[in-house]
Amino acid sequence: MMIDGFSKKIYNIALNFASNRDDAADLTQDIFLKVYNNIDKFNDDGHFEPWLVRLAKNQCIDYWRRNKANRARVEFDENVQARAIHESQVTPEESSIQAHDAEFLREKLSILPPELRLLLIMRDIQGYSYEDISGHFHIPLGTTKSRINRARARLAKLVLNEGN
Amino acid sequence: MECEKIEELLSAYIEGDISPVLAREVSQHLDRCPVCAALKEKMEELITGLSDLQEDVPFFLRNRLYVIAESRGQEKEEPNAYMKWMVAVLGTFVIFLNLFYFTNIYPSANRALHSVVATVKTIAVETGAFFEKVNESKDLILSGFFEKDSKTVQSDKDSKNLKKNGGKNG
Repeated sequence: MMIDGFSKKIYNIALNFASNRDDAADLTQDIFLKVYNNIDKFNDDGHFEPWLVRLAKNQCIDYWRRNKANRARVEFDENVQARAIHESQVTPEESSIQAHDAEFLREKLSILPPELRLLLIMRDIQGYSYEDISGHFHIPLGTTKSRINRARARLAKLVLNEGN
Repeated sequence: MECEKIEELLSAYIEGDISPVLAREVSQHLDRCPVCAALKEKMEELITGLSDLQEDVPFFLRNRLYVIAESRGQEKEEPNAYMKWMVAVLGTFVIFLNLFYFTNIYPSANRALHSVVATVKTIAVETGAFFEKVNESKDLILSGFFEKDSKTVQSDKDSKNLKKNGGKNG
């Protein structure tokens, strides 16, 4: 069953992309609606998962575009919050504790550009191989690896900066 | 190597997807550069931390998805997944049948299979004979029909000729 087989994957893409549960639920629902509306167009030599993941990716990017105004506000809040944390002098040890906090990580993830965020979600949260990600998103393997490295480095710097 | 170059290699270094020569260079750089060392440490920490971000689908959402599927009437098996399962099950079944038929690992299964095969053969022979009979009867019926048909056509022609001849004589 499609829902049993793929809902967790899609929900986790949506949750870590949207970084809040309400939007993630709506986004997951939108993705499945899109799947049902386009199932007749599915023509990928029987490789359903790459098709579904690409559709989810496009839907996530659409969501990101639709919420540009909100995003600007969130990013502004983020900066204010970052300054507040900076001023309250969070120690690197505290930062390390925060790094294990899911909400904190999702917040930081949401600052990354959408393409990098999706690649990081696919690799480090969903555990897809570089080869699968490269195939699913039609990106050369070398580019996939370098983008994921860039995403990790940017996220690490965001977390490090918060602790300094 | 410069920090920028090291940063590009950090994921590959962490995941061991790098040549020993490059790995040594990165390692040497990390020993003397605290900034890159901190970045590498944080990246390792994040890779572990991110893998814990998976969550189960909330119950309400799962229900919503099922409602959508039902309303669309399209809650289908993943394309080809059903077929793959069928082929796998059928293949395994055939392998086991062959194993039991051609070897004597399980004598009772072997005997049962041989008796089934004998029965199937008998049924096949009888079915063949039945269809042969059906064919013969069909041929008989058809030939009878065409014979009758040709006779009818001939009698029609004869009656027309008679009428013609009678008209001329009269």
